[in-house]
Amino acid sequence: MNGCIVAFCCEHSAYPAADLAGKLRLHYPENLRVIRVPCAGQVDVIHILKAFENGAAAVLVLGCEDGACHHISGNTRAKERVKYCNMLLKEVGVDGRPVAMFNLSPNAPHKFVRAVNEITKIKKESGR
Amino acid sequence: MIIAERKPMEEIRQMIAPYKKLLLAGCATCVAVCWAGGEKEVGILASQLRLDQSKGRKKISVLEATVERQCEKEMVEELRDKVQEVDAVLSLACGSGVQTMAEMFEDKPVFPAVNTTFIGMPEREGLWVEMCGACGDCFLDRTGGICPVVRCAKGLLNGPCGGTRKGGKCEIDPEKDCAWVLIYRRLEKQDRLDLMRQYYTPRNFRAVKRPGRIQAVKA
Amino acid sequence: METKIGIFLCNCGEAIRNIDFAATKEEVAQIPGVTCVNLSSNLCLKEGKEKMISCIKKENIDRVVVAACSPDFKEHFFRQVLESAGLNGHLFSMANIREQCSWAHEGDVTVKAVEVIKMAVNRARLLQPVKKKKFPVNREVLVFGGGFAAINAALQLSRVGLRTTLLEREAILGSETVELGSLCGFDISSMMSEVEGDENIEILTSAEVTAAAGKIGGFTVRIRKGGEEISHKYGAVVLATGYQTKLALEPELKSDINIVSQEKLCRMLEDPNLEIRPRTIGFMFDFSDENSRLSTLATLNNALAAKQKWDSEIYVFCKSVKVDGPGAEKLYREARDCGVVFLKCEARPRITADNGRVKIEAKDVFLGEDTILACDLLVAEELLLPSEGTEALSSLLNIRRDSRGFYQDENVHLYPVASEKKGIFFVGGCRGDLDLSRVLTDVSSVVVSVYELLSSGNILTEVEKVKADPQKCVACLTCIRVCPHDAIQLVRVDGGKEVAEVFDLACDACGVCAAICPAKAIKFRAYRDEEILAQIEAIGES
Repeated sequence: MNGCIVAFCCEHSAYPAADLAGKLRLHYPENLRVIRVPCAGQVDVIHILKAFENGAAAVLVLGCEDGACHHISGNTRAKERVKYCNMLLKEVGVDGRPVAMFNLSPNAPHKFVRAVNEITKIKKESGR
Repeated sequence: MIIAERKPMEEIRQMIAPYKKLLLAGCATCVAVCWAGGEKEVGILASQLRLDQSKGRKKISVLEATVERQCEKEMVEELRDKVQEVDAVLSLACGSGVQTMAEMFEDKPVFPAVNTTFIGMPEREGLWVEMCGACGDCFLDRTGGICPVVRCAKGLLNGPCGGTRKGGKCEIDPEKDCAWVLIYRRLEKQDRLDLMRQYYTPRNFRAVKRPGRIQAVKA
Repeated sequence: METKIGIFLCNCGEAIRNIDFAATKEEVAQIPGVTCVNLSSNLCLKEGKEKMISCIKKENIDRVVVAACSPDFKEHFFRQVLESAGLNGHLFSMANIREQCSWAHEGDVTVKAVEVIKMAVNRARLLQPVKKKKFPVNREVLVFGGGFAAINAALQLSRVGLRTTLLEREAILGSETVELGSLCGFDISSMMSEVEGDENIEILTSAEVTAAAGKIGGFTVRIRKGGEEISHKYGAVVLATGYQTKLALEPELKSDINIVSQEKLCRMLEDPNLEIRPRTIGFMFDFSDENSRLSTLATLNNALAAKQKWDSEIYVFCKSVKVDGPGAEKLYREARDCGVVFLKCEARPRITADNGRVKIEAKDVFLGEDTILACDLLVAEELLLPSEGTEALSSLLNIRRDSRGFYQDENVHLYPVASEKKGIFFVGGCRGDLDLSRVLTDVSSVVVSVYELLSSGNILTEVEKVKADPQKCVACLTCIRVCPHDAIQLVRVDGGKEVAEVFDLACDACGVCAAICPAKAIKFRAYRDEEILAQIEAIGES
């Protein structure tokens, strides 16, 4: 799956935002693959690492805005885990911040597209 | 429980450099609870090592296994088949577990992936603090249940050193609470402050002759 | 065990145009375990649905994948279709080839569509059924408080047939509310007598809670009253413990008799024996606390009242007048028309005591210059604070408080009257943000929620969706500590071992526990590691 970007989308925010982007015909790169999760806080470090093991070029974790997490602090936990993942990957030479976390609300399709475009740019800059 | 912490990646890499096939062995007891060497951490380290090979490193294959308690011979025996398949074992258990593995499988190099640090407890999830130094001569009865051997930077037995900072913090490490302030407050609550007027002679911190050996009642 | 997977493709009435369905059908039919692939143009309509059901039955399909629109849209619908076909609704996985594939990219997206379907198939293969069970719940409700919100809640709950206990810690029910007399057109005393006469409502005064345990449907609460302690079970808890106000003043001014609170001013206005009428009155609000809806309304109402009763000169100092509540804009205009002067200031005015009067120095934004007012009475700014005992009570019930100390709502946008712990609700001032009309709406909202939960005496819930394996659990307590809904407890299993157990009724299926469990003992059906990994593995296979 070389070159693919895996996006873990929280069902309360990012997933509906992605749907809305589609409804509004806001286009983004085709190599995005979405995995729907009940909360960004449910995304574990091993899920992210396995995505890289399977050839992903970058991973996005998308959750609710600060203070608006349906499960109080799932998005905060996700943020910490993403930081930790980037550290773990750097330890083994996978540089360039290949994992990124974005916060958005369900009615912000443009933010979803922006997140995808940003991680695509980061990915290109690190030559992956 | 025993608290451990994963070693720096560079150290681990150097240990395993000459080997092509590894078994990562975790333990589901202390190191799992302190997030250092359980099934989860085995998975993460294995994933990292597999990703590492893409950077011009030798191609290695990594097996994963976790036992209930790596310091029990019978439980470690379950790993025999997997150990046969590999060139070396990287254990994420505490020192006790690593040595048990090494003893059970003498023909295979067994490496420690974590540093065993102290006996402690969680202050909150993810934060472990040292509580006990395993000195072998416990006198927590006299200090209201707070150990000055590990929690006082100077290991003092007879009250504070006089250098306590404002807010009850340690002279040496301003982030730490002065253990003797904590002890005073605890004894005050229990109305046992008279204990602080008793003076204790120097102790033998090596009460346990190393390597320790204890025989419980012969059953 | 070989699973028989049935794939149902839909082109949504031919709205999906950039996917080659024939090629897709051919490719996905080759995936191991796939028994049949059907193409429809109207899977969610009667005809398509019936075809789907008959196909499932005929081919003995035990896992279903639908490739069509978004699961957010139709997942619930298709789960019911599976149930109609005799399959557990959770043996279903949906591939979003419309909103997140066809509509999101230009040109032909067949390659991506095939991959997205493969992801869903990989997941479907591992899915496990989730059963439902009826949990008996206690039909009694405990309401903390005795004020306007609490009494309204109790009356409405009683009307829908739920027995309610009002727990008031003071000696008189709603002692503070009673003192305020008639509150904006509501006759408090008649409400009080209605409550006292209602057989379905039990009133406990001078009572406090000493311990609370359990979860929704069965909170066990220990109440101490008059030296005795009794234990009682409640299905739901409603907090209506109110708020308190504190004058936001420099300490040296606190004892000045010419600086009062809004409440004190109300009393002065109603006092027939008031000796001296203040000729000049200053009001201040909106500087220390942005949540000033209450102070805004109070100021406008009182300023008008003071103008009409005493004909005083009135000056209002504020950052801005927030008139978002119903009727507020009109009140503001009325006040201005009466001659009340509003001064807009960026910074908080300086207040000093001056020879029996109060001196206010402020810079008005429009005038652009410093103004000094000497007034006889200053109605000072008040901070809205949680009532005394809020911290202790939230600790007892193990619910969160927000940054201001008020009870934390579950989701600021969607569900403001419920706490993150199922079965606990709050109404009125204890939520930190209120005006009277909102209180009544909130009470109705809570009553409907509680009625839905408790009226039938049992709640149908999914069981073991999130489950801790007692064999693997080492009782490290991490999940119990992090669960945002306080839905996990420590229980003893056979053998005496203590392990974590997820209480299905209280669980909100977020998966935070499953992710954090250091021993990987918690399994969250449909989102287990294997199910996530299986989706990842399907990426890039084509």
